[in-house]
Amino acid sequence: MTDKIPTYTEATQRLEAIVAMLERGGMGLDETLKLYEEGADLLRLCKTELATAEGKLNELQLDEIETQLQTEEQ
Amino acid sequence: MTGRGEVTTGPLPIGQFVQLVKQTVVRDPLFNNQALKGEVTQWKQYASGHTYFSLRDQDGQMRAVIWKGRCAIDPSIKEGSEVVIIASIDLYVRRGEIQLNVERIEPVSVLGELEKTKRLLVEQLRKEGELDRLRQPIPALPRHIAIITGAGSAALADMQRLIENRWPGLRRTVIGVLVQGPRATEEIVRGLAAARRLSNPEVAKRRGEPPVDLVIVGRGGGSPEDLWAFNLEPVARAIIASPVPIVSAVGHESDVLVSDLVADLRASTPSDAIERVVPVLPELHYLLDEYEERLGVASRRQIHDSRQRLSILHARLRVAPMAGLNRAKANVLTLSSRIKVSTQRILGLQSTRLAHFEASLSAIHPQRVLERGYSMTQTSDGTVLSSVDGLNIGQNIILNFADGSADAEIKKTQLNEGTK
Repeated sequence: MTDKIPTYTEATQRLEAIVAMLERGGMGLDETLKLYEEGADLLRLCKTELATAEGKLNELQLDEIETQLQTEEQ
Repeated sequence: MTGRGEVTTGPLPIGQFVQLVKQTVVRDPLFNNQALKGEVTQWKQYASGHTYFSLRDQDGQMRAVIWKGRCAIDPSIKEGSEVVIIASIDLYVRRGEIQLNVERIEPVSVLGELEKTKRLLVEQLRKEGELDRLRQPIPALPRHIAIITGAGSAALADMQRLIENRWPGLRRTVIGVLVQGPRATEEIVRGLAAARRLSNPEVAKRRGEPPVDLVIVGRGGGSPEDLWAFNLEPVARAIIASPVPIVSAVGHESDVLVSDLVADLRASTPSDAIERVVPVLPELHYLLDEYEERLGVASRRQIHDSRQRLSILHARLRVAPMAGLNRAKANVLTLSSRIKVSTQRILGLQSTRLAHFEASLSAIHPQRVLERGYSMTQTSDGTVLSSVDGLNIGQNIILNFADGSADAEIKKTQLNEGTK
């Protein structure tokens, strides 16, 4: 895997590949452990992603959001 | 309401009957917010601000009223104008007359003009290649959705309800804008600009939320004129220029709007937009749980297999030096047993053959013949006699039996009948 943090889609695709490799079997202990670690990291990442998508519900009129943005962009 | 029960006991007062008719008629959705077209006759604008007219064509007509301030009236509308109205039916009980309460009125010529402008815009966008431009992918997991639509509209309520069903608490910012009327275009464009600013990571950081990564712009269904802002160039250009993917979600079935043509995703209604971009959270959790389970099971099996392979290797390693010797020993053993077996087989065959031979030999031994009662005759010089021919009277012969011999003398000879 690259150093770049994968997107949710990339993470689940890689997870699928890892699980498939492990299920196919026939690999050494070293490789198994490495893949397991990577899979566990990806799972953690995906769960964090799901959690961070939850948040505030803003419902604003156009004027309100524009005023807010005006102050935030200064 | 004195009900229908009185009909059976006596005549119903006409006023009550008209009330009943009114209640039935105004409740029918077919007669509510219906788009109608026809010719204006008896057009009359009163000082009170109300406008009365009849809408007619060759097959029928109906009275109509535009209450004061209900909607803008194009000054070009006059006696004989072709118009499209949005109206609901009403019954004026006092007179027992059905009339249309008009919500919108547009001269048909204006609609024709709009259609022409739209066609030109689509043509222009096609020439610029904007209709074939590469669309931005919709994020699989939107972190922050901006929804640009009418504040307090039914479409917004539908979208909010659907999101809560699919992903409770999904982060979103609703930007309430006018979606119809003369200011709609400007407000939608400003709404898109605000969403674009919310997608700026710097701004988002200051607001303490993730940048907007998906925009839904739309409204519920309505007459073509109501939806017209979504056919205008400023909205189309703002959608094209958006750095964030945009879903066009205008509720309508027949006509395709320009916003649909240029957006990154076209949804048929606001609800459809939500169903297409908001994942169902429990399904995602289920999928991750499944991966977790499979990852654990497969890894444990792999580790177990590796351990087993290791112990087999270990055992083999331990006995390796002996292996060559053992193999040689085994070879010798195999060979010697094979030799033994084949020798025995050969010997066995031969002794059987010998026994046979012996048996046939002994069957023809002279001694055996004598034992069966035959005797052998010899001359005194030992010649075995097999014929009577050549014997003389008085000649001495020896008779041999199985258990001894006797001397005898020939008294008489004779040949068997038929023997030469």
